[in-house]
Amino acid sequence: MCRVLAMILAGGRVDELSVLTLERPKSALPFGGMYRVIDFALSNLMHSEIERVGILSQYRSSSLIHHVGIGASWDLVGRDRGATLLSPQKGHADTDWYRGTADAVYQNLEFMDQHQPDLVLILSGDHVYHMNYRGLIRYHQEKKADMTAAFIEVPRDQAHRFGIGTIDEEDGATGGRLLEYAEKTEAPSGNWASMTVYLFRPDLLARLVAENARRGSSWEFGRDIIPAMLGRHRVYGFRHRGYWAYGRTIEEYWRAHMDLVGENPRVDLDEWQVRTNLDDRHLRDRPPSLFLPGARVSDSRVSAGCVVGGEVVRSILSPGCRIAEGASVRDSILFPEVKVGPGARLDRVIVDEKAVIEGNVRIGAGDDLTPNRSFPDLLSSGITLVGKKAHVPQGIRIGRNCVVGPRFSPEHFHRPSYASGELIT
Amino acid sequence: MRDTAVMLLAGGGGTRLSILAHLRAKPAVPFGGMYRIIDFTLSNVMNSGIGSVGVLTQYKPLSLMGHLGTGEPWDMVGRTRGVKILPPRTGEQDADWYKGTADAIRQNIDHMRRGDPDQVLILSGDHIYSMDYGPMLRFHRERGAHLTIAMREVPWEETRHFGVARTDASGRIVEWQEKPEKASSNLASMGIYAFDAVYLLDALRTMKGNDFGHDLIPSAVGNDRVYAYPFEGYWKDVGTLQAYWEANRDLLDSASGVDLHKWRVRTNLEEIGRLGDRPPARIAPAGKAVESLLSPGCVIEGEVVRSVLSPGVFVARGARVVDSVLMHDTRVGKDANVTRAIADKKVTIGEGASIGGGDDGAPANREFPEHLFTGLTVIGKHAVVPDRAIVGTNAIVFPHADEGLFPSRSIEAGSTIRNRGE
Repeated sequence: MCRVLAMILAGGRVDELSVLTLERPKSALPFGGMYRVIDFALSNLMHSEIERVGILSQYRSSSLIHHVGIGASWDLVGRDRGATLLSPQKGHADTDWYRGTADAVYQNLEFMDQHQPDLVLILSGDHVYHMNYRGLIRYHQEKKADMTAAFIEVPRDQAHRFGIGTIDEEDGATGGRLLEYAEKTEAPSGNWASMTVYLFRPDLLARLVAENARRGSSWEFGRDIIPAMLGRHRVYGFRHRGYWAYGRTIEEYWRAHMDLVGENPRVDLDEWQVRTNLDDRHLRDRPPSLFLPGARVSDSRVSAGCVVGGEVVRSILSPGCRIAEGASVRDSILFPEVKVGPGARLDRVIVDEKAVIEGNVRIGAGDDLTPNRSFPDLLSSGITLVGKKAHVPQGIRIGRNCVVGPRFSPEHFHRPSYASGELIT
Repeated sequence: MRDTAVMLLAGGGGTRLSILAHLRAKPAVPFGGMYRIIDFTLSNVMNSGIGSVGVLTQYKPLSLMGHLGTGEPWDMVGRTRGVKILPPRTGEQDADWYKGTADAIRQNIDHMRRGDPDQVLILSGDHIYSMDYGPMLRFHRERGAHLTIAMREVPWEETRHFGVARTDASGRIVEWQEKPEKASSNLASMGIYAFDAVYLLDALRTMKGNDFGHDLIPSAVGNDRVYAYPFEGYWKDVGTLQAYWEANRDLLDSASGVDLHKWRVRTNLEEIGRLGDRPPARIAPAGKAVESLLSPGCVIEGEVVRSVLSPGVFVARGARVVDSVLMHDTRVGKDANVTRAIADKKVTIGEGASIGGGDDGAPANREFPEHLFTGLTVIGKHAVVPDRAIVGTNAIVFPHADEGLFPSRSIEAGSTIRNRGE
């Protein structure tokens, strides 16, 4: 079998996700209750039997280091298997932080060289999807391509937010030559968006990123490398079909979670066989979830170690959450070990790890949709964020589009009520 | 605690657990959704800071061996740590099957002596409880005991199932009765023994008989320093179907004393069926679950009440599961009713089928009246109950039973059905 080395781009901080990515890169963001976003890429690799993985990360990577460990959770330990976290290192140049995705790969050419792969697969660790990369690899080999990138159809009105490719009809539904490629333009030429899944010939990749390191402008694959390859190399587009969540904004992140529930969930976790590190966050020690006599749970996902005494509707509970009797959690996402007290009501709230919501608190109260005063672009659809380890005391009322800062403690709440759009930090 | 050798007796067949222990040893019977019974003892060992244990197996050990794996789930991999599986082996004599608890230890003296221990802790893999063995071992050493037995008070009417003891003020046992008709005390043995190693080696050489409870302890009391270590807290022998069902129910009631959160019970998430791959439980829009324990991978479209569900259980729309224990990947079809039932792994219950009902007047199981008489209904692993079939109270459907066993779609209360040859 041909040896494929995977490089996962997992370094990115995403400002649009506000307090959720203050202390972790996006790839380490919890998703779907018990997972982190990077689990989807890692599980795809495992199911595709790609067993050498480098993870490129620089932003606040401690939760990632902890989570990936030696890669045992994705069966990456063995003679020819391994997961290596590739952080920036001090070298000859002054500034050796990764300047962009292509630069990150450039700074790790030595790692690539060590493994002498036949192909290098570059992935983003920020996306929620299910894909067997073997189909892409086969196509790439059939076409004797220099590079093959995977594309997926997105709604036309969203196309300006992605790198959009024009793929010819050479192989119909499977793919074809990549004719044009442009990153996030005002007038996109179509709606097949790049999934940030690139398969390269290693020698060519090495040459391209080395050149780019000297002469690049953005040091990004999407902006510098791919457009410049068109016409000069054999570049193919592979059409992937299926679910793909991009989750770059709070709204998208929340919507992707709503795809975990419903009559026929679009994110079919039962089918996808996503793996996570069960030693991270003590997942392994969690007993089955306990539903108390007063529990009224519907259309939700409830992780191990939760104890539910109240109402939970269209919500995702991560491991170890406790919902007291008489509490109500609707259309919300709770990260691990969140406590919700009796009589508290949450509507459209994303609550970060270990936050405590005391009794009779209301978050997401009222119909006022005033956007967040400090971040109107990020928070306008009615979702309120509660930061990690924040503690909201008894009876406080908080509107929509609000942010409660991480570790914000009871003595700092000076008012009984906060209107929609407030930044409570 | 490297001065202590731990020997875990896990060999027993569990006749009284009926078909649940048909294909596996009793300690390997699934319990509490995602665990097996032995996990409670193994987790106690881990949480007591002990890293090495010998597990004595004998009856149908395959599930158990797969479950123990390398011992990694209980943090037992390392230089001085490990789980050793100790099956019977042929030796100088012909018949080397374990003839009793003491005989099992006797046949593994070589393993026991390997680390040159000062004490030997002997445990059973059949019980649901949480205990730190550290204080008991300290108690044992402080009193210079030859043997210390963990004991707890039980209701007087249960004393006939246990070894019971009277003690003096210092805790020393002055009288022992093994499963007495008329007990003089309600302080009952939990089957947990701490021995002085030299004493145990000597006793195993000289004792008559093969069992700790029947043979060794009665003769040691009075002659040697035998102490009772008092234990308070939840402890349950889940050796009967009724006790097994009740202990599962205790998990739903915080007042029962069982607290899986505090107990830190661990299981092997990587064995066949990989619990580790299972996503969070999903409750569908019309689903409902109250007073129940739901494991990862469950999908609930119908209603679940006062029940314990293992990973991957599917309850279809309109189905109702009440007062039941359903094991891994069992599927309950649309509009089916399951009441006071125990279903083993991968059971299929057809649409509109009705299992159990729990009517108190139902006759005991005719073939196994002493195993099943309390109103439960038991369905074996891989059995298929066809659409609209009815299985009565106190009935047993054997593992792998297929649709052909339901010619009239109705299995009356107290019946037992099985494929030919089972």
